[in-house]
Amino acid sequence: MRGLVRWSSKWWPGTIPLAILWALAAWTSTTPLEAELGSRSTAALKDILLDKSRVTVSGRDVTLAADAFSEDGRRSAVAAIEAVAGVRLVDDETRLIPEARPFVWSAERDVVRLTLTGSSPLPASKGKLLEAARAGLGGVEVVDQTKLSRGAPPHFDEAALLALDQVAKLKDGKITISDTRISLSGMARELGGREAIAAALKNLPEGFSVASNEVKAPPYVFQANKDPVAQTLTFTGYVPDNSVHGAIVAAAGRKFFSEKVVDNLKASLGAPAGFANAVVPALGALSRLSTGTLVVSDREVKLSGDALYEAASAQLRANLIKDFPQGWQLKAEISVKPAAAPVDATVCQQLFSEVLGKGTVRFESGRSNLDPDSAGLLDHLTEIALRCPATNIEVAGHTDADGDNAANQTLSEKRAQAVVDYLVKAGLPASRFSAVGYGSAQPVAANDNDEGKARNRRIEFLVKEQP
Amino acid sequence: MSGEGAAVMFLATFHWGWLLAALLLGFAMGWIAVVHRGHGVSKVVARWLAALVAALLAAALARVVPGRFGYWLDLGLMLLAIYLIGCAIGSWLRDRLLPGPANAG
Repeated sequence: MRGLVRWSSKWWPGTIPLAILWALAAWTSTTPLEAELGSRSTAALKDILLDKSRVTVSGRDVTLAADAFSEDGRRSAVAAIEAVAGVRLVDDETRLIPEARPFVWSAERDVVRLTLTGSSPLPASKGKLLEAARAGLGGVEVVDQTKLSRGAPPHFDEAALLALDQVAKLKDGKITISDTRISLSGMARELGGREAIAAALKNLPEGFSVASNEVKAPPYVFQANKDPVAQTLTFTGYVPDNSVHGAIVAAAGRKFFSEKVVDNLKASLGAPAGFANAVVPALGALSRLSTGTLVVSDREVKLSGDALYEAASAQLRANLIKDFPQGWQLKAEISVKPAAAPVDATVCQQLFSEVLGKGTVRFESGRSNLDPDSAGLLDHLTEIALRCPATNIEVAGHTDADGDNAANQTLSEKRAQAVVDYLVKAGLPASRFSAVGYGSAQPVAANDNDEGKARNRRIEFLVKEQP
Repeated sequence: MSGEGAAVMFLATFHWGWLLAALLLGFAMGWIAVVHRGHGVSKVVARWLAALVAALLAAALARVVPGRFGYWLDLGLMLLAIYLIGCAIGSWLRDRLLPGPANAG
């Protein structure tokens, strides 16, 4: 041991080449060492969520600059680099990304562009939302102006994805998520879009709620146009579903005795409440017009056209609104068709027979109350009666052979009288009409089948010259 | 400190060539030192040198020298340590294998 001390005093000359060795080692190894430590540090950060992370190495010291999403993430990032073998010091220049309070995210679209603004929670969410927006709104430019922030509520991503789905249903508008409250405004792209959005919002993730939904939809329009020249009734626009569609077409078949129905209706969601209950009576009113148009736009019913005579116009204006469900409005622009030229008794009879050949005056089953569906037909009969003022008219009631004769006789008389009452109410003098009942005595068809019986149940008009 | 251990292991594997060179240099110097007749370092200078090395070692362990200079210091101290080990082995071996002239000198 003492020898070692003695010898060691003579070891110094070797330090001169050692110093040269040192300098060479330092000269050649510094850059590769820094590169090695840099790549190892970057690899160590791989599984830690950071934004804008930047690793710089000087000697064995690593400087980490990054935006972290939580205090934990920040600590674990520093710890991960400290654990890299060979790293001497970690210079922690990480910071937390700012917290947004409230955490607001919104998507606003117009015709050509969707703009995302506000805060996104994580780069992955940001990317996912941008991707979803591009996929959901094909062909629309998507601009992402969101900034990364902390403070997003749980399930934010699901809520935002759902919101983006709804934005796709808007023509223009804005959806904002503020913490867990969602507000929507704008105009739905399609009829029923508002309902579709409201339905989708029921699937919001837990904790989220709708603060306000002011999405508007284009008006729900239904139109019926009665053209007496072409003898057509044309339907356009929308109906809520097939059963309402069927009900409307069937009602038209009962109410319009000579027109052919041209059905261009499409089914769509978004109909106002009570749609069928408003449209069916409105069609009844249209059937009483000579020529006319019915436009149902949301809850506003606009009926325009020519009534067949003065009293009909007044009745329509006064009565139709009573048949509507609550909240519906009527705008009636009804004028009166100019009176047609008077005709003599023969032509008058011919006109009656023609009209009654196309349609039958209907009553409630077994009773003498006029079926409201026959109002259109009765108005046409009234108009004809107005054209031949110099005649007397016998209104004859007939029944089928079911039931006993006395009852049928009475029923036929009462039914004929009901028709006369209708004509008198329309402004014709009662003295021109006589109501006669024939019971089942004058059948025009066999009473052994339903079709024949239906033909036998009828009202006939018999025109006589005034004495 | 396992961190230090890991760091030394890392540096040793990264710089094994240089360290081997320092070891061989030390071995050679130690080998020669036994029979060298020149002047050694005086006790006073040796103390100063030891104090200097201790101060540098302390600075390295305390990690007060920043960045590249800190790394170069670590590297120098490692090379020096290996060199001294080489010297010790060299001298001891020479002393054991050739006892005559050295002990006589």
